[in-house]
Amino acid sequence: MTIDIPSQDPESSTPTAMRFEVLKNLAKDAATTASSRLGHLSLPGRRPLETPNYIGVTSRGCLPHLTPDNVTKHLQTSAAYMSLEDFIEKPQQNSARPPPIFAAPTSSKLPTPLHAFTAMPSSIATILGARRIPAVASPMGNTNKSISVFTNTGFQPLTTTDYLSAVSTLKPDISIPLADLTNSNITPNSKRALRMAERTDEWIVDWFSSPDSSATATFAPVLPVSYSMQWEYLSRLSEDYVPTSQLSGLALYDPALLPDLPAPLLSLPRLSLSAPATPHQVLQHISLGIDIFTLPFINTISDAGIALDFSFPASPNPSSSAEGILPLGTDLSSPEEMLGWTLLQIHNHSIVSQFFAGIRRVLGGEAGEEEFEKARNGFLRAYEADFPAGHAERPRARGYQYKSVGGGEPKKNKPAWGKLGPEGSEEGVETPVVPEGKEVEEKGFAENVPKE
Amino acid sequence: MWATATRRMASAFQPKSHSSAALTFELVGKCSTTRARASILTLPHGQVNLPIFMPVATQASLKGLTPEQLEGTGCRLCLNNTYHLGLKPGQEVLDAVGGAHKFQGWNHNLLTDSGGFQMVSLLKLANVTEEGVRFLSPHDGSPMLLTPEHSMSLQNSIGSDIMMQLDDVLVTTHPDKARMKEAMERSVRWLDRCIAAHKYPERQNLFCIIQGGLDLEMRRECCREMVARDTPGIAIGGLSGGEAKDDFCRVVATCTELLPELKPRYVMGIGYPEDLVVSVALGADMFDCVWPTRTARFGNAITKHGVLNMKREVYAADYGPIEDNCGCPCCRPIEEEGALGITRAFIHHNAAKETVAAHLLTLHNVWYQLNLMGRARDAIVADRFPAFLKEFFAGLYANKKDYPSWAVDALRGVGVDLLEI
Ligand SMILES: [Zn+2]
Repeated sequence: MTIDIPSQDPESSTPTAMRFEVLKNLAKDAATTASSRLGHLSLPGRRPLETPNYIGVTSRGCLPHLTPDNVTKHLQTSAAYMSLEDFIEKPQQNSARPPPIFAAPTSSKLPTPLHAFTAMPSSIATILGARRIPAVASPMGNTNKSISVFTNTGFQPLTTTDYLSAVSTLKPDISIPLADLTNSNITPNSKRALRMAERTDEWIVDWFSSPDSSATATFAPVLPVSYSMQWEYLSRLSEDYVPTSQLSGLALYDPALLPDLPAPLLSLPRLSLSAPATPHQVLQHISLGIDIFTLPFINTISDAGIALDFSFPASPNPSSSAEGILPLGTDLSSPEEMLGWTLLQIHNHSIVSQFFAGIRRVLGGEAGEEEFEKARNGFLRAYEADFPAGHAERPRARGYQYKSVGGGEPKKNKPAWGKLGPEGSEEGVETPVVPEGKEVEEKGFAENVPKE
Repeated sequence: MWATATRRMASAFQPKSHSSAALTFELVGKCSTTRARASILTLPHGQVNLPIFMPVATQASLKGLTPEQLEGTGCRLCLNNTYHLGLKPGQEVLDAVGGAHKFQGWNHNLLTDSGGFQMVSLLKLANVTEEGVRFLSPHDGSPMLLTPEHSMSLQNSIGSDIMMQLDDVLVTTHPDKARMKEAMERSVRWLDRCIAAHKYPERQNLFCIIQGGLDLEMRRECCREMVARDTPGIAIGGLSGGEAKDDFCRVVATCTELLPELKPRYVMGIGYPEDLVVSVALGADMFDCVWPTRTARFGNAITKHGVLNMKREVYAADYGPIEDNCGCPCCRPIEEEGALGITRAFIHHNAAKETVAAHLLTLHNVWYQLNLMGRARDAIVADRFPAFLKEFFAGLYANKKDYPSWAVDALRGVGVDLLEI
């Protein structure tokens, strides 16, 4: 089963054709119900993505701690999620200036403004959404024509028109249209849930009726509300936009919706925005039929100074017959193992890449689904249910998503020597470059003076 | 005609060299006006060209760069802190893996400090006695002691190509002359203990450190004592503190005058570009400083036109490179091999927000410093170093009246008048 979604870039008239191919369905009823499968997603000029797989989650256009050369050399990741709210702040001293990202000049090496502004290597596909993952809930709420987003300088409205215009300028490979979400753990009452579906439905109609939407592959949001609340919206997707090939994929905020997806939507790639907290949850969501994951836990785990250590299937653990005892990672704020965040990120991304490669191997095996469920249960038994608590100090300057942390403090001591730059250039906020763990032992350094 | 004259002067210089057990110093060029020298230093992990800037590559400074990124800046000799390596991974691990080169995946040269200065500056409670540096463990408050012997043992375990003696460091502005003299004399005695304790002189070079504060007579006495002990290289220590720059230049000039011609001279802890080029003119060869990497974390880019703070709003929509015509991976033209296509706008977007901005500025700043020394060296070899100095200061300051007087005076002392038309 193959679907080709050709679309035409109006400006350069180069086709931005995304291709998603289901290589193997594991369940017999795959034509009517979502379930685990093997797939292959390709975009012109980008690394192909074998699914199930994960993509990197960026912060302000960066895969945290990784410079573009390190992304190219050390990451197997094929795509990166970017959020528009990371780029559209209004600085107090110059609130009228348009966001600089929109005018970023492109080149053959960095062919879209999104790649060019962020220096994201062109081998990495870009997926644009409005909000960070996970998104901070806004006190303002959304309107009929806009959602509230949280930028570096505070909350501001983002209209459907502005978002579509941003997409048409930035030319992400894949875009997720706006959804009316509460971004809260509290389930919305049915009145609110219905309105979420109605607004999202209206917005998708506006989206597809604009020629601007053809510059990107569209992954329509699937709301985290019950099927009965959004069935009309989902019907519209399958009836109006699958036949026209305008719809390229689905972006699910809750994997629980997977069993309810209408059959015509099942051939589309399924991207998860639900931020599963552990590899156990990832495995469960694969059973339900997710193809591509955004996994913010990789960044938070690295920031916490934890080196991931798990594999799929779980390797037999000869040292113990007890269950659930293998830690998912090691807290590196212990003396011998302290590494920089950069190396931790490279390591943790590599562990997760291998984890998905293991998943695909099992799914591709002869006994596919049965084998996968067996290995999944083995994994659940072998590993602890959660990551170890990290002790490393978090990067305090990461900024605004940790609202209580805020900015750093100005340096206390002025350098005694003169400086070259403009007065005061050395002052201000420092970007921390290493996790500063609790102070470690003086192992091997100097001698302990014996106490008399 | 001018080019012919340059070639004649350059070719007139006869290379001379001197070898110690684990080091060869080959002098390949000398400025005919100033005391600047160009040389090749051959160390156990390869050759490096002097003058050289050595970035500090442990823990808090370069940790965001991978060894291959550091290599990509052209760096072939970097500094590691003994204090940090002694803590993590610790001496046992270093012995087990065969030293810091292997531990860090760095196949080029390493220089280590003694660990003493880090302790005095990091742990305010350090206390120096004849035996060594005493301090309280930051972990459990128990008393610890770093002796010259233990410093050598640690640096032997690290396996650095250049190791530094443990010295008694005081800030140059220390008011007590008697204490300053005691520190200078103790540093000489500690050098003897370091030489006696050094296990691998055939594969690691121990450098002495000239002390004596701002007292030129004390510095001269220290030079004589240290030079008599014939270490493969010589460092000028205790600077980079709160002293006036005129005093700094006087100390460097006084020492280089007395030091043997065919040994490398290392001025410890300096890194501002003007300090480097003036020190080169005064006859120094090697420098280290955390400033280029530290200042990167504050969003500062070092350029030929001075330090630019990328956090300033003026860079928000500036799509040019950090510095025009810079050859670093961030700045080189996008179509070139390995070019990353980094704009000032992107650095501005993430300065003090994402570590990636600091890593990219670090790449640029380290490249700038290495390249500055490389260009100084080329100028020395071509015997056009005075012209290089003039170009350098003209790049930094639009008006000659803004030139720092200490630099003008120091360079006048070696025959270059920056202010002449
Ligand atoms: Zn550069």
